[in-house]
Order: sequence, then structure tokens, then C-alpha cells
Amino acid sequence: MSNRVAVIGVGQTKYASKRPDVSIAGLLREAAQRALDDAGLTYADIDAVVIGKAPDMFEGVMMPELYLADALGANGKPIMRVHTAGSVGGSTAIVASHLVEAGIHERVLTVAFEKQSESDAMWALTVRPPFQPSTVGGAGGYFAPYIRAYMRRSGAPADTGMRTVVKDRLNALKNPYAHLHQPDITLEQVAASPMLWDPIRYAETCPSSDGACAMVLASESAAAKAPGKPAWVHGTAMRSEPTMFAGRDQVNPQAGQDCARDVYKAAGITNPRKEIDCAEIYVPFSWFEAMWMENLGIAPLGEGWKMVQEGATGMDGDFPVNMSGGVLSSNPIGASGMIRYAEAAMQVRGTAGEHQLDGVRKAMGHAYGGGSQFFSMWIVGSEKP
Amino acid sequence: MPDSLTAPHVLEYPYTRSTGEVIGRFFTGLKERRILGARTTEGHVLVPPQEYDPETGAELSDLIEVGETGVVTTWTWIAEPRPKHLLQKPFAFALVKLDGADTAMLHMVDTGDPSVMHTGMRVRVRWASDLIGDITDIACFEPEVA
Repeated sequence: MSNRVAVIGVGQTKYASKRPDVSIAGLLREAAQRALDDAGLTYADIDAVVIGKAPDMFEGVMMPELYLADALGANGKPIMRVHTAGSVGGSTAIVASHLVEAGIHERVLTVAFEKQSESDAMWALTVRPPFQPSTVGGAGGYFAPYIRAYMRRSGAPADTGMRTVVKDRLNALKNPYAHLHQPDITLEQVAASPMLWDPIRYAETCPSSDGACAMVLASESAAAKAPGKPAWVHGTAMRSEPTMFAGRDQVNPQAGQDCARDVYKAAGITNPRKEIDCAEIYVPFSWFEAMWMENLGIAPLGEGWKMVQEGATGMDGDFPVNMSGGVLSSNPIGASGMIRYAEAAMQVRGTAGEHQLDGVRKAMGHAYGGGSQFFSMWIVGSEKP
Repeated sequence: MPDSLTAPHVLEYPYTRSTGEVIGRFFTGLKERRILGARTTEGHVLVPPQEYDPETGAELSDLIEVGETGVVTTWTWIAEPRPKHLLQKPFAFALVKLDGADTAMLHMVDTGDPSVMHTGMRVRVRWASDLIGDITDIACFEPEVA
């Protein structure tokens, strides 16, 4: 890395089905203001703003960066938007971090959001353009066949996904910002919920949430002046591959493997399972925890499900995943990737409250999007890289 | 060269919008024949109000009532309205700065005759007969004459 970058402020809204009390601008503003307060800054201290959200059709707002410039204090400053489908929250944070890493800006505000109550993501994903296939019934319908393929390849027990859901939803009870708080959730309850897209049951899907997440990224000198402990960015990586190419493996996408290899290298990590203390991984449907453990090289190929079954990804496991409750507990789509990054930063800063793990030195944030075609990852640490 | 295929593709989605408190109060005010503006920290009054100061980004929550009369700051004449125009007779699109406001608002002025229109002319709100909490509650402006 050229210049060091740190997260010096994090802000989130309480994720909920509906926030009818605020406009879209008001929702972003809430998260942005909290991130600025955390960093001890005002809008006047910010050099540039980078925002991210899911595809325009989800909410029907074209070019939200125009509409949001005044709400985010961007008058007279650069503001830009990043587009990478569901992984956008992660890529947005990475673009913001690169502006600091490149030495262009001292303090960059980055915000990602989605107001699902005002949109219709399910149908926006079910468009059937002439001469092209439809993705049929939203993201769950798209991903179900790949989960079935994973089950067939790995021989994973049928309750693997359900175990991830119960673990994540119980973790969410310790996160005041999580959308779903289901204290009584059990494996039996998940097993009894309706089958939506075999093998994905209703209880194994992410909720539809309204929410925004914001971070302030700062240079080393700006971080030195911050009131709180910074989270240092040790490495960032992004990869993509084409959606419709028949030869690609969507169960274990090459782009995800390459992205992981790249981010470990950037962070100087040779044994990720050992050297990374915890991770916030993009798991919108339960089975993706097991699948991504393999894709990220944390588990050997075909053995990701064992980590779930053995409790390795639990709060007291050797590789805790989604301490916040993850996407399965809160899903404002455009923000979901940034929440993973922010939660990773909170763990190394020691500011995660009740879901804080002890002594976290390195944490990973992960996001994926599109038809498992966009990947973005970062590793943050409690010490300077 | 063979003709390439084309097919129509019509998309419709039922989106929702929340106004937030500031814009919500503006629309609610219109239902009561009151026009609200937002006062900035510098003391400027923005009509229609905005949630955030375009200059500084500060949150705006101080709403004050302005007059229903004002002055035309610029205008253009629509001699032949199209079917979707809200006035089905010749009219002016104009920027109107209401009394007590520091910014002008785009609306329509009905004078019936372009020779009456001029920059600096005084106008008054003509309220719609049914008030529903929308910008169309202001049917248009008309010359302020005794």
C-alpha cells in the first residue's frame, strides 16, 4: 500500500422493515451523522463523498448521487457512486479507501443504503428482457440450484443451512442495530418454515430492510487526530466475472477465490483461518456460509459445512463469522456489504458492544453480488499494517 | 442484410416515496392554504423548503410561513399548451419569489395574455378547489390586482 488508511468513524441506522418517518436522504443522513460524530468531525472536515446502493430499479431513483449531494454535505466537493450489485457496499468502501490510499484525500465519507420498503427488489430481479432468460423469482430462485449443487458435491447434511441461520439470528440479539430479533429461534422452527426455493426455506432467507451504513476513512495523519481507536486497512481486493458464461462455477466462483488470495496477499496473511480472528461474510441465504468458507480458503474444498456443523463459525468457535447477525438478520441491500466492512472495523476497534469478541487483531469484511460475479473484500487490523 | 429482431419491453414497478418531515410539513401546509419555507442558519428562507441546506449541508427544521403573494423573477410563455400541461389555455411558466422567501419557485401564471406578463410583476396564489397536499394545490398564480 502506498499511504495508510484507517476507519475512524462508523455509523449505522437501526435496520427495520420500514422507515416511513424519513426520506431516502434522511436515512443516509442519520448514518452519516453518526459516523461523523464517532470520528469527531463535521461535514466541513470531509474532502469527498462516495456512495453506493443496489441497482437503480430496486428503488426507482436514478442517479441518487445528484439528489443526495446536499444531504451529505457534498456541495463543492467530489461525490460519486459505485455500482456492483449486492457487493456494492463493500466496493464503495474500497473506492473510498483508495482515494485516501492514493494520497488524494485526507478524509472521505462513504455511505451505502437501501430503502427496501419503497422499492421492489424481488420484481426488479425478475425482469424478463426480450431474448434473455429471467432470473425467476428474485435472488433466492437464482441461487437455489447452486446450493443444491453444493449439497450434492460436498455431501453436506441437510440441516447445515439451518444451523447457520440459528447461529446468526442468536448473534443478532446482541446487536441493537439488527433488524430481526428472534430470541426463541430454534432448528425445529426453521425446519418448519415454508420451503420457498428448494432447499431454501423462508427462515433461511435474509429480511427486507431499510437502512444505511456510513464510515469515515482517513489518512494516517488524520487518524492520529481522531478521538477513537482507528481500524487500519491492511488490504483490499475486488474481482468480477461475467454472469452468463456457461463455463463458470457459481458454486465456487473463480473470482471469489482470486479475490481472497489477493486480499490475503495484500494483508500479508498466509494462513487465513489462523491469522484472521473473525469475519463478517455476505450470507443472504443460509447455505452461503458453508459455501464461502471453502471459496475463501478458510475450509478445505468440500468441508465448509463441517465448520458450520462443528460450531467453528460461532462466537466461541475458532473462526467466528457474522457476530453482528449478518445479512440473514439485516438486509438493506446496498448497505449490506458496507455493514460487513464496518462490523469488521468495529471488532478491531473494540467498539462492537455486546457482540464484541475478545482481543480481535485482524478481521475480514466480505461482500458478493450479481450472480455471484462481483466480489469485494477487505482486511482491517488493530495495528498499523 | 437480414432484418434484426426487435421486441417491445415495458416495465412497471409500484414504488413508494416517503417525504420525510420537512417536505411532509410543506405538503400538509398546502392543504391548509399555508406555504412554508425553511430558514437556514444564515437566515435565508428557501421555498419550497429543503431538508438540508444546499450551501452548507446543515439540517433544516425551522419552517416558517411565507406570503401567498410574490414577484415574478423570470418567465416564458406557453402559447400552445400540450395535453399534459396542467393549464389548457395559454399561460406562463415562471419563477415566483414569494413575499418572505429568498428563493423563487417554479410554477405557472395565468394572465390570459402575454402582453400582461413582465418580470417584476406581482402575483398571487390561485388555490385549487380540492386541496390534497400536493404542489398542484397551488393551481397557478394570477396577477395581484385589487
